[in-house]
Amino acid sequence: MSDVLGTFEQAVLLAVLRLADGAYGRAILNEVQARLERNVAAGAVHATLVRLEEKGLLLSELGPGTEVRAGRPRRYYRVARSGVQALNDARAAAQTLWRGFKWPLKGRT
Amino acid sequence: MNADMPPRWAEQMLHMLLPPQDRQTVSGDLLEEYRESIFPARGRRGADLWYLGQVMGFAWRGNEIWAALLGGAFVARTAMDWLLPTTDFHARSAVSTIGSAGIFLSAGYLAAWRTASVRAGTFAGVVTALLGAAVSIVGVTLLLAVWHDAPTFAAIEGSGGLAEVFTLPVMVVVPGAFLATVGGLFGGALRRLRHNP
Repeated sequence: MSDVLGTFEQAVLLAVLRLADGAYGRAILNEVQARLERNVAAGAVHATLVRLEEKGLLLSELGPGTEVRAGRPRRYYRVARSGVQALNDARAAAQTLWRGFKWPLKGRT
Repeated sequence: MNADMPPRWAEQMLHMLLPPQDRQTVSGDLLEEYRESIFPARGRRGADLWYLGQVMGFAWRGNEIWAALLGGAFVARTAMDWLLPTTDFHARSAVSTIGSAGIFLSAGYLAAWRTASVRAGTFAGVVTALLGAAVSIVGVTLLLAVWHDAPTFAAIEGSGGLAEVFTLPVMVVVPGAFLATVGGLFGGALRRLRHNP
C-alpha cells in the first residue's frame, strides 16, 4: 500500500481528476474550495501540488497563456497511475476504519 | 500599467517566494483570479488586499518552520530566565544567539536555494523575524498569564525586565535579515554551482 493521503491531498487529487483536461492552478483552487466549502489559500494548493508531483502522484506540463493572464503560461496537471492507486488506497483505508459503524454516528451522553 | 493589475511590489514579492519554474504559472493563476473574480466583486482596494493575503500565505508556508523555531527558542529562553533565575547569563546568551543566527542563516540559505534568488533569502529573514516575534509575544504573554507571582517578577527584573522580553524579538529583524542574506548568498551560489558547474 502506498502512503495514506491526507484529506487535503485527496481533495486536490480528486479536483485534478474531475477537471480532467482543464486542471490548472486556478481551476484546481476553485474546485477544492467548492468541494471543501471553505476558502483555501492559493499557497496551500500550490504546496500540495508540488508535494504530490514530487511523490510521483501527479504529472504536469505547461500550456499556453491567455490575455487575462498577461500571457503567462498555465501548468496543467493530471493524475499519474500511482496517484489513482493512492486514492484507491485512501478510500479503502477509510472504509476499513468505518466498517461496523452506522453513519452518521449517534452521540453518547 | 493596466487598471486591473495587482500592486507591482506585491507581484515582485510573490516572485521572490517562488522557484523560477513556478513564477509565471502561479502569478498567472493569481492574476486570472484577480481580474476575473476578485476585482469585479471587491473593487481595487479589496482585490489588492486579497492579492496581498495570498502572497502572505506563500510567505507563511515558506517560513513557518523557521518562525516557529525562532519564536519557540525565544519563549524557552524567557521561561528559563524566569523560572530558573541566574546572575550569569553568558552561557544562555551564547546558546540563544548562536541558535537564532543558525535559524536565520538556514532560512536564508534554503529560500535562496529553492528560488535561485538571494533577495528571497533576505525576505525569508524578515518574514521569519516578524512571524517569530508574533509567536514569541503570544508565548511570553501566556507565560505571564500562568506565572505572575512575586518571585517570578523578581526574576523578570533580574533578567532585563518585561520591556526587553517584548521588544527584543522585533529588534532582531535587521540582524536577522542580514544573516539570512548571508545564508542566501551561500544558497544562491551553491545552487548556481550545482546547476551550472
